[in-house]
Amino acid sequence: MKMDPANPLPASRGRFVTSVLEEDQLSHAKKRPIPRRQLRGPELAVLWLLRIYLLFMIAVVLYQVWSGAH
Amino acid sequence: MVKLSSSAIGAETSAAPAPEITHEDIDRARDRQRVFKARSQRGWLSRTRLLWLLIGPGILVMLGENDGPSMLSYAATGARFGTGFFAPFIVLTFVMAIVVQEMTMRLGAATHRGHAELIFVRFGPFWGWFSMLDLLLGNFLTLITEFIAVRAGLGFFGVPPWLAVLSAIIVLVLALLTHRYWTWERITLAAAAFNLIFIPVALLTHPDWHAFGKALGNWHPLPQGGLSKETLLVIISDIGATVTPWMLFFQQSATVDKGLTRRDIGYGRFDTILGAALASAAALAMLLCTTPLFLHQMDAGSFQAAEFAQALQPAIGRLGASLFALGIAEAGIVALITISISSAYAFGEVARRPHSLNLPVTEGKSFYAVLLLCAAVAGAVALIPGLPLVYVTLVVNAIAVLAMPPALVFLYMLVNDREIMGDLISPRWINFLAGAVVVLLTAAGVLFGLSVIAPGVFARLGGG
Repeated sequence: MKMDPANPLPASRGRFVTSVLEEDQLSHAKKRPIPRRQLRGPELAVLWLLRIYLLFMIAVVLYQVWSGAH
Repeated sequence: MVKLSSSAIGAETSAAPAPEITHEDIDRARDRQRVFKARSQRGWLSRTRLLWLLIGPGILVMLGENDGPSMLSYAATGARFGTGFFAPFIVLTFVMAIVVQEMTMRLGAATHRGHAELIFVRFGPFWGWFSMLDLLLGNFLTLITEFIAVRAGLGFFGVPPWLAVLSAIIVLVLALLTHRYWTWERITLAAAAFNLIFIPVALLTHPDWHAFGKALGNWHPLPQGGLSKETLLVIISDIGATVTPWMLFFQQSATVDKGLTRRDIGYGRFDTILGAALASAAALAMLLCTTPLFLHQMDAGSFQAAEFAQALQPAIGRLGASLFALGIAEAGIVALITISISSAYAFGEVARRPHSLNLPVTEGKSFYAVLLLCAAVAGAVALIPGLPLVYVTLVVNAIAVLAMPPALVFLYMLVNDREIMGDLISPRWINFLAGAVVVLLTAAGVLFGLSVIAPGVFARLGGG
């Protein structure tokens, strides 16, 4: 991702980039970790319910495909 | 006037080491400089230029979702039910898309992070991988249908399947050769505008505007046979034609890649609404295009794109049928570009690899490799002889609808997360609308499931 060390970035161009982009927009800022959020009980319950719903419904779709093919 | 970020001010006034600057940063900075310049000037011309500079992701995502299977779904709807209930219903699905896509655009502009990345870092890899698998599976299946649409559309002109698939991949590669988000976006926007070709084709069918206008207002006539299994399938398919998980991932990543910030959110909203308006106009035009088949009681149940064009030829002539077939092929190609890019963005965000359309190939090898690999494998599958298009389309649209509620819950949680959104968290009325969309999509999925596994119960509930 770095610029070619043999052709270093002119200082003026670096200043131009940092003056136009917000700090979080720079590609190096993407490496900065965002803290993880602890999921609460009801949130986990909803996520699990929807996960089970999705897996069940995909099985339903596959069943329909199978029954349609036969 | 150029706004200085806090880091830039720090760089000017302290001896802190300069941040690592990449090609991606430089290209994005050039785009942003034009935005600052347009914003600093007064007058309607500058406002229009600013709008021109800031629109893109919203229009692309909406017209991109008017893809091969979606247009085929609208065509089948028009041929089976005419305009009636489904004209306002299709408009409603686009309103749902606006609600959802506005949230994802706001999330991208506020955090400068992609959707897959935020799910991973905020909720952990366990839930992150589930989301990724949903996305990649859905995208891969959808890509197959895009190639089938290109095959079917170009097949109308006698182009052999292998050449149609190869042509689509060549267009994808050409669009990427620019290595510049801005240029790619403008080229793809120009290609996506071709989706509106269905409007003149619809005019060639001499629609009954009075009946159409009336249907938009009163949702009548209702589908014959009530809420039958067939009607439900069409409803599910039309929802899946408008609201799908890849749209969330694509618009957020594209918003970040384009460099939109909090200050641009108003323009992002306009972009999303404009995209939905254009896409719904094309979708309604498709509905009108195939309504003559409904009026003449033609059985279009197993029609593919080329068959629709051939069946419509007596009504709209060779030119109209050719435009119809071209429109289907174009819908497939534009969606092929946007959907494969959404997969590559998500992969890069999760694998912590560079992911931007501003990257030269040498710096974004994994990004471009994933993108082209997804497209190439899907293209190869689409060449399997005898692949049942109608079935694959049904499955793709159904899976899209079924995968939306889990994806929307993640979006809802992220967009209401004050730690990352600050004061840009969703207001209550948007949360209410988002909740209504989740309930509607889940209810449609449950009814669909009931109609398949317990048709007797479904019939007693009022279905046919």
